Amino acid sequence: MKDKKNLTTEINPEIRDILIEMGAEDIYKCYQCGKCTSACPWFQVEIYDYPVFKFSLETALGAVASSEDKKELDKEIELIYRCVGCEACLEQCPHGISTPNILRAARRLLVDFDSYPETLKSIVQKTHNVGNPFGEHRENRADWAKGLNVPDFQQGIEYLYFPCCLPAYETRNQKVAQATVGILQKCEVSFGILGVKETCCGEVIRRIGAENIFEEVTKANIKEFKDSGVKKVLVTSPHCFTTFKNEYPDFGADFEVLHTTQYFSHLIDTGKLKLNKSFDKKVVYHDPCTLGRKNNIYEEPRNILKNIPGLEFLEVENFNRNLSLCCGAGSGGLWLEWEKDERIVNVRLKQLMDTGADIIAVACPYCLQMFEETLKSMDVDIIVMDISEIIFECL
Amino acid sequence: MKKIGVFVCHCGRNISATVNINKVVEEIKKYPGVVFCTDYQYMCSDPGQDLIKKNIKDKKLDGIVIAACSPSLHELTFRNTAEKAGLNPYLTEIANIREQCSWVHSDIKEATPKAISIIESIIEKAKLNESLSPVKVKVNPKALVIGGGIAGIQASLDIANSGHKVILIEKSPSIGGHMAQLSETFPTLDCSQCILTPKMVEVFQHENINLYVYSELEEISGSVGNFKIKIRRKASYVDNSKCTGCGVCSEKCPVSVDSEFDEGMGKRKAIYTPFPQAVPNKPVIDKENCTYFLKDGKCGVCQVVCTLNAIDFKQKDEIIEEEVGAVVVATGYELYPMKNMLEYGAGEYPDVINGLQFERLLSASGPTQGEIHRPSDNKIPKRIAFISCVGSRDPEHHLPYCSKICCMYMVKHALLYKEHVPDGEAIVFSIDIRTSGKDYEEFLTRAKEEGNILYIRGKPARIIKQGNDLVVWCINTLTGKQLRVKCDMVVLSMSMVPSSGALDLAKALRIHTNDFGFFTEAHPKLRPVESLVPGFYLAGTAQGPKDIPDTVSQASGAAAKVLTLFSSDEISHSPIIASVDEDLCSGCGICITTCPYDAREMDERKKIVSVNEILCEGCGACISACPSGASQQKNLTDIQIDNMISVLLRSNAKALEREC
Repeated sequence: MKDKKNLTTEINPEIRDILIEMGAEDIYKCYQCGKCTSACPWFQVEIYDYPVFKFSLETALGAVASSEDKKELDKEIELIYRCVGCEACLEQCPHGISTPNILRAARRLLVDFDSYPETLKSIVQKTHNVGNPFGEHRENRADWAKGLNVPDFQQGIEYLYFPCCLPAYETRNQKVAQATVGILQKCEVSFGILGVKETCCGEVIRRIGAENIFEEVTKANIKEFKDSGVKKVLVTSPHCFTTFKNEYPDFGADFEVLHTTQYFSHLIDTGKLKLNKSFDKKVVYHDPCTLGRKNNIYEEPRNILKNIPGLEFLEVENFNRNLSLCCGAGSGGLWLEWEKDERIVNVRLKQLMDTGADIIAVACPYCLQMFEETLKSMDVDIIVMDISEIIFECL
Repeated sequence: MKKIGVFVCHCGRNISATVNINKVVEEIKKYPGVVFCTDYQYMCSDPGQDLIKKNIKDKKLDGIVIAACSPSLHELTFRNTAEKAGLNPYLTEIANIREQCSWVHSDIKEATPKAISIIESIIEKAKLNESLSPVKVKVNPKALVIGGGIAGIQASLDIANSGHKVILIEKSPSIGGHMAQLSETFPTLDCSQCILTPKMVEVFQHENINLYVYSELEEISGSVGNFKIKIRRKASYVDNSKCTGCGVCSEKCPVSVDSEFDEGMGKRKAIYTPFPQAVPNKPVIDKENCTYFLKDGKCGVCQVVCTLNAIDFKQKDEIIEEEVGAVVVATGYELYPMKNMLEYGAGEYPDVINGLQFERLLSASGPTQGEIHRPSDNKIPKRIAFISCVGSRDPEHHLPYCSKICCMYMVKHALLYKEHVPDGEAIVFSIDIRTSGKDYEEFLTRAKEEGNILYIRGKPARIIKQGNDLVVWCINTLTGKQLRVKCDMVVLSMSMVPSSGALDLAKALRIHTNDFGFFTEAHPKLRPVESLVPGFYLAGTAQGPKDIPDTVSQASGAAAKVLTLFSSDEISHSPIIASVDEDLCSGCGICITTCPYDAREMDERKKIVSVNEILCEGCGACISACPSGASQQKNLTDIQIDNMISVLLRSNAKALEREC
């Protein structure tokens, strides 16, 4: 009898109520149409079956993150951490149910019990300890700006430029921060950086479920911004953008946030940013989920690219704007390894390459990183560039 | 000073269990102005009413207060009682000590003084009441029906057959509406045109029906019983008195555009009748597409070929003035636009079509003579996906309501498709299949079994075009399986929305719509065919999504309501309406803009405002808006309200000291 598997499930109101408390408040709205599931990026990874539509009802039963058997729980953890938080499901859900929020509630529970993937534990720890998920030294945080003559932010400066962790530390991404600085200097924008005082915005650790540490980081950042007199923040990462704009105000933040594509598009429209050199390439734009679906910024990046002389602009047919496919890096995805034939990024890269483009333009450090890493192992000519880099080449 | 009598009802134990009736009577007897007070077990019973009548006469009462239940229940009863005893019915007042007191309290010590306060305040109102008589209005027994679909047709025929005149207006060139476009109808699969066209002809030939097609309501004024209307008959550039409907003009016309009747699945000419069975069978010229109008008199082929000289390019729109007593609104529906469905190709894929377009492909008189060919390459589709709830039941992005008919017409579509293309495969993507109608569930069962129709439970997230194929992305939520279904064609069950123009019409008629533009009925259960504004009745999908049997029932219901109105020569209207004190009115006109019923007019000579007693509904908006206090509600004046409030406040204070 012992090894007989128990097939019936008792409704577990306790876990259900905890999950609702932690953000799974939408679960009762679901009418099981399943649109979420065929909208999910995992649907496009044809080998992997991801049951998005089950999460709301299973949560209502208290049957999510609740297995007592270690093996079963491991399976659940894998499911719960598959979600890349791209909100493609939410974009189509007739009742506006946020499955990413439901899963984030489950993640919070798992983090509370310390039952979550080891790689993610390590990035939560590193962010907590040294202010970035890579465990890089704090004193190296401004190395990317060496020799660029970038002032430290102080009272009287208009914009704080906040590159965040990938552009601060990662070699390929550092070029994006450097290009951004180049554009700002060319346009004589009053800006400065926090340099070594800068700390991760905390987006990824919140998506992983480490709510307490996120709150700690957030409050420290808000204090730092307030003490430094920051009123306007310019960010490279849509992840910083959404956290600062939509989530920090809950903790008392009061500053304006602009994504670089918004600001550069504005500078182009007002004639302050002049694009003189021709860029004779076919460029396809990849909408980052966090910039697009989450924040409705679809037109500014396109406006920039369409204003670049010589550039031939391409769209991914069927999968652009709100119907764009994620790169797979969101909500901790950058740090998680899946089997080679079940990676979202490969599907997305194929869509992008099928357009016949020379260049994939991105507007997010995560997308850039994800595409670059994947392309390394592929024998193709396509190049990935951040929009800021393309602008910088045309100055 | 008025002599007020007060009658306190026990309502069995409904009131007396929580209100000390003896104490109430004892206190009220002492109240200034009250000359008589008594109580009775059931005041609304015959002996109770006799008690009231007797005392009105004996005590020569000139105002009575009945302390009992809500006025919505028995105000009319007691007004009639008073009238029978020779007292003007508007001198009767109800003090509600049941719903507002005994039912909501359990402590007799608190409920009793509250009941006393309520009665005292109503006594104050009764003291200043005036005798009023109802406003009488003559009824013009002629109806206007707006919309010539099956709802408008049925309502017109029912009214006309009872001997009353009907004006039926329809904005397109023929009556018949969407029902004329349908191939067969569920659940019986009888041919839509076969059952509809005889009714269309009957309308056309009926001596009591005056039909105006290609016409719209331009203006309406007046109120129930007496509306003045203006109808704009659009120029058709065809003289109907000469035209015989031979059709040579349409044959020869060189212009070809998408046919509205065929939902873009077929073509029509610039001079056209929408379909061969059109009623009336007279063509119209579509000015927007006619070469003669577009190129300054070039072309004119129709004029040349018409041997009867019926083409008249100089024709102008005509305004027709009429008077009617009642209006039936039957403006119907249209489909939610496919362009809103980005995930399903936003209306850009030629082989993704809506339900009405599929009807035209199925229809024997349709552009393909009933052969199913897909629009892109005329191929016979071997697999069709039917998707339900497109735009419906999606409060987040589209419309929250259920369109009611789609589940059923998808069954029909799938079944008819299988009849036309026996080796074809019909796949229905649906979530909840709603078959709530007579014989509907049986129809579904039959279709699934006999037609081998595959039902998949799930709403697809995408339709992707791959070469000539369409691929539907879905999940079967019953098996959990991911599906990528290759199809030759997809039919979307777009939700029903009110006809464009329904909102403008609602504004012109001053009747209400819900958030989505469907006309609002007076009561969702008990008054489903009347609007809240007297004289306007609702029929068919203008009021909400419904199928043909429900539409026809509602149309007959609306007709019956119109006939009830027409059954007497005059109707009376409550006299408890606004009035204007001419000495106080400054003529500022604020009330004119405030009045929702257009019941206010500026007397240009006196520079003061007057109230149209027929239109005024007594809502009181003007009274609160009037800055000088010139506007007063009859029998509910500012002074009456003031007195009532003072008494309530004073007696509340007194109640605290009173021992009950």
